[in-house]
Amino acid sequence: MTSLSEEVLLVVKKVRQKKQDGTLYLMAERIAWGPEGKDRFTVSHLYADIRCQKISPDGKAKVQLQLVLHTGESTTFHFANESTALKDREAAKELLQQLLPKFKKKANKELEEKNRMLQEDPVLFQLYKDLVVSQVISAEEFWANRLGGINNTDPSPYNNKQEVGISGAFLADIRPQTDGCNGLRYNLTADIIESIFRTYPAVKQKYSENVPHNLTEKEFWTRFFQSHYFHRDRINTGTQDIFSECAKQDEKGLKSLVTQGVKNPLVDLQSLEDKTLDEGYGICTTQPSTSNANKSVKDSSNSAIIKRFNHHSAMVLAAGSRRGELASDQASETSSTDGNSRDSDFFQPPVKKVKLQEAIEFEDLQRENRPKTVPLNLKKSDRYAHGPVPLQSQQYTTSQDIINSVNYIRHEMANYKPSLTQVLSSTAATSAIAALSPGGVLMQGGAQQAINQMVPTEVQGELKHLYVAAGELLRHFWSCFPVNTPFLEEKLTGHLEEMLQTAYSKFQIWQTRRMMRKT
Amino acid sequence: MKLNIEGLLVYFPYDYIYPEQYSYMLELKRTLDAKGHGVLEMPSGTGKTISLLSLIVAYQRAFPLEVTKLIYCSRTVPEIEKVVEELRKLMEFYTKETGESNNFLALALSSRKNLCIHPEVSSLRFGKEVDGKCHSLTASYIRAQHHSNPNLPVCRFYEEFDSVGRQVPLPAGIYNLDDLKAFGRRKGWCPYYLARYSILHANIVVYSYHYLLDPKIADLVSKELAKKSVVVFDEAHNIDNVCIDSMSVNITRRTLDRCQNNVDTLQNTIHKIKETDAAKLREEYRRLVEGLKEANVARETDIYLANPVLPDEILQEAVPGSIRTAEHFVGFMRRFLEYLKSRLRVQHVVQESAPQFLKDIFDKVCIDRKPLRFCAERLQSLLRTLEIADIADFSAVTLISNFATLVSTYSQGFTIIIEPFEDRTPTIANPVLHFSCMDPSIAIKPVFQRFQSVVITSGTLSPLDIYPRILDFRPVTMASFTMTLARTCLCPLIVGRGNDQVALSSKFETREDFAVIRNYGNLLLEMSAIVPDGIVAFFTSYVYMENIVASWYEQGILENIQRNKLIFIETQDAAETSMALEKYQEACENGRGAILLSVARGKVSEGIDFVHHYGRAVLMFGVPYVYTQSRILKARLEYLRDQFQIRENDFLTFDAMRHAAQCVGRAIRGKTDYGLMIFADKRYARADKRGKLPRWIQEHINDGSLNLTVDEAVQLSKHFLRQMAQPFRQEDQLGLSLLTLEQLESEEMLQKITQIAHQT
Repeated sequence: MTSLSEEVLLVVKKVRQKKQDGTLYLMAERIAWGPEGKDRFTVSHLYADIRCQKISPDGKAKVQLQLVLHTGESTTFHFANESTALKDREAAKELLQQLLPKFKKKANKELEEKNRMLQEDPVLFQLYKDLVVSQVISAEEFWANRLGGINNTDPSPYNNKQEVGISGAFLADIRPQTDGCNGLRYNLTADIIESIFRTYPAVKQKYSENVPHNLTEKEFWTRFFQSHYFHRDRINTGTQDIFSECAKQDEKGLKSLVTQGVKNPLVDLQSLEDKTLDEGYGICTTQPSTSNANKSVKDSSNSAIIKRFNHHSAMVLAAGSRRGELASDQASETSSTDGNSRDSDFFQPPVKKVKLQEAIEFEDLQRENRPKTVPLNLKKSDRYAHGPVPLQSQQYTTSQDIINSVNYIRHEMANYKPSLTQVLSSTAATSAIAALSPGGVLMQGGAQQAINQMVPTEVQGELKHLYVAAGELLRHFWSCFPVNTPFLEEKLTGHLEEMLQTAYSKFQIWQTRRMMRKT
Repeated sequence: MKLNIEGLLVYFPYDYIYPEQYSYMLELKRTLDAKGHGVLEMPSGTGKTISLLSLIVAYQRAFPLEVTKLIYCSRTVPEIEKVVEELRKLMEFYTKETGESNNFLALALSSRKNLCIHPEVSSLRFGKEVDGKCHSLTASYIRAQHHSNPNLPVCRFYEEFDSVGRQVPLPAGIYNLDDLKAFGRRKGWCPYYLARYSILHANIVVYSYHYLLDPKIADLVSKELAKKSVVVFDEAHNIDNVCIDSMSVNITRRTLDRCQNNVDTLQNTIHKIKETDAAKLREEYRRLVEGLKEANVARETDIYLANPVLPDEILQEAVPGSIRTAEHFVGFMRRFLEYLKSRLRVQHVVQESAPQFLKDIFDKVCIDRKPLRFCAERLQSLLRTLEIADIADFSAVTLISNFATLVSTYSQGFTIIIEPFEDRTPTIANPVLHFSCMDPSIAIKPVFQRFQSVVITSGTLSPLDIYPRILDFRPVTMASFTMTLARTCLCPLIVGRGNDQVALSSKFETREDFAVIRNYGNLLLEMSAIVPDGIVAFFTSYVYMENIVASWYEQGILENIQRNKLIFIETQDAAETSMALEKYQEACENGRGAILLSVARGKVSEGIDFVHHYGRAVLMFGVPYVYTQSRILKARLEYLRDQFQIRENDFLTFDAMRHAAQCVGRAIRGKTDYGLMIFADKRYARADKRGKLPRWIQEHINDGSLNLTVDEAVQLSKHFLRQMAQPFRQEDQLGLSLLTLEQLESEEMLQKITQIAHQT
């Protein structure tokens, strides 16, 4: 009961938690709730522990506020005062909004940041292990010129990340598996859910409306997979389905896309024909069936699939470009014709002109007057096409060398005069032949192995780590030049030299260890 | 550069030239010299249009009295606009080289929908609405009424044009559709009527086929064009179908009902007029006695969807007495209508010729042949007299009267088929009377007769000799040009088997076969993994595509494809397909890559180009035969056999192969472009099919790639794509497929060039 000494900022009565009526207190450092009639808090969270708050959407019967903790737990408060429920909730929310950011610990965040960097970058992690853990260099120094740069320019490097598009086949990745007893199991990951939400905003809306008040998350997705919305080839038989609305919304979206028309006049099939034949003229080979009655169920299910694929692809495409639109240079093209400029042809000509010019252009008939570029000149295009091949030998001989030597040998052979007094003994000759024939001692050069195959991978790895670590130290070393501050001078003469020494000795140790192991 | 084509100085607005362009110009010049007709096939993307324009413009300048006008017909609005832009480029080059601006007038003409600048009218979405609305503002009697009653709305742009626009001819220059609109806005003149008026004195006119081939429109627009014109039909591989379409009529029960309403309205209007203004009807009667000739001289705004090709002798005669008075004519139409209704009540399919039909109608309701022939003309006159503003409402009765005129004018080349129901739904009565034209030469005959030179050209016209036969004309030149290539940028492969050795074919017997469908799916899946950017796949028909897509969906093939690329599918709705197409291009553009599933003979296959990365591979699933069970087609095949000695199978194969060639040709639009062409049907390997592909595709099919499995095709494609991905520079082409003027003039090259044209 320390709360009495605290400053209470807001008191809200008639707040239910776990079906119990009670009172919510917002204090300077924590939020607390106590059941009615008792003078102790059953719920109490420090602001620092709270990750975020969530509220139920407007228009819902229940007015709720949810607190999500860093630990992942959550607490839901239900504002039950009929007349002022909304106002109460708003007040609590506002106050929380002001309070929460103050308690976000900065240091904590930095640590998280470092952690994340190490996790994301295995090379960095290894470096960290090599240099910091083995105490070649202090942690502060290690981070000094890494984190510094990041912190100054951009608080969160997430923004620099390229937006990842959505795989076109994300729905295919949730193929159901039978669980053996007449059931189906769908595997959902956070990524897939994210994809579904980004592609189908209508589903996201349903989700936020229904979860967790009406349905649990699991129920929601179960229904999703059972719905006709997911199995679009089944004809909607009009059952009560929370997703039937989504389907309708999609339909509407598709329609609005269609009526918006296309910006590129060259792909507008509707205005392609100059003069369509009047009704009643012409040979109609395929009668466009005016009545839906004679369309079989199968036909309409087929066309539903087709519609679905078009819609799905369009949505996936849109989800991918939505974020990128802001910065992309594409925007310049589209922005000029935005809006419903179907009929106002004041907007059309620029795009049209450009497209027409593009269409009639023969770039190879014109003399090139672009700035001269250096073409990529591939000596061995095979190698480019088939990827790198392991190097066969370390020494290269130019073709001129080879020709010269062949000529030389030929010349020598032509002028060869056997001096029969100085011949080899037969045993020496046979051993020489054996040495020169394939598999012999002297012929091993041809079958020389590439270095990366000769050395075991772990040795390669170790060497690489040592190399990177030394490189990092050298980077530190060189970054001290020019030495214009006493601090740098101290760093240079003091421990850096020492550090390099340590690194060098480390390499020595490794080498001797290797030599020992080898022998 | 300046070229010397057999003594003719030709300005060519580029620094280099393809050898085949030179060869093409040679052939074209010979055609013009001989004042005859020509059939020229040259691959798409080799600069056919600019070669045509350069040569003909040069010819016009050199011999202004021999060739006074170029009439350039193309198929789609974007095509038309492209031609005009190329022409603009050529003219700019002329001005730059000669230093003087030439007084050439060239313009594009399109329908009102594309040219109208009236704020209300132009905001309407459909062409028919625009036409109807325009007519209700510009018809002569509306304008006459406007004089007495200024509150009646008229189109100020037309009024302005009518009062001053005709005196000053359109200044010389190049006018695209947008230029015409801009000019119209500046002057306050109606661009549509300005263009229609100006084509009479323009040097070059660019418009769509219909303005020459559809007699209903040609009669209004192109009637007075000079005889010494050169007519070019570009993208003419489908010209026979355009001809046939423009002469065929379908009559359903709904048409007849609407016609009935029209006739009732006519009757009522006549009654009303009789009470108020009987003199008007008497005046009309007098006019009709004097003959049609005078009646024909109507003002240009009064378009009553004019008569289909009327033989000249009819125009000399007077309208027969039996339909001369308005009431009699309405009564006559009523009788004719009742007769048609009775014919539509049949329970079984009827097929008969025009003379049979005429005999039957005479026996049953005593209608003679002669008044039927005048039906269309008589109706026009009546509509004009009755001052009916909205002609769109009278389309049904116009259709019936046109039918009457056609059926009584031509005893040959047409067939009448009455079907009581659709084949697929025999239980639902939906009687249709098809009056279908089987002879494309009927519609195009006036063009060949009137104009001095007619050139039929396209990227795919193989086999060349069939066009003169079905269009019934005698060309002086027929040539097919190949594409000279510095690198083989197209790779046609015939995939005949799946990896499990199942024969791939879309033929009827194996159409539902799961093994075939699965293998087609595998082919697409494998291709989606190795081809960069865009892939376009064509199916033989819409129904076939739907079925395959459904079964791919069930088998999970589509989902696997989605891992590689996004999928877009053509639908029967044009707006939806346009959207899908744009998204497809967007996906190709941003590097994600996409697949477009489409249909041969569909709108996409006819009008959309997939240049460069928009189409790195085209797959043709099956041979796109036309639906052979249709009675109309059967009748046409019979007619072709009897009249032109073309065997049914030959024609069907020819038709299928020209569509297949169109589809795969969509991907190659130039020498710097490259693409795979995959024919997935074992029947393509047969000589009779393969031989009907254009020469420029045929010569790249080697014997090793005639019956590949899916895996083999994938291997070959990988190899091809890797090679094509290497940088390709102008220097690589120079001297081989790209020539400078000096190279062109060398003896050796001239010799080579003569081999490019393949005479037949």
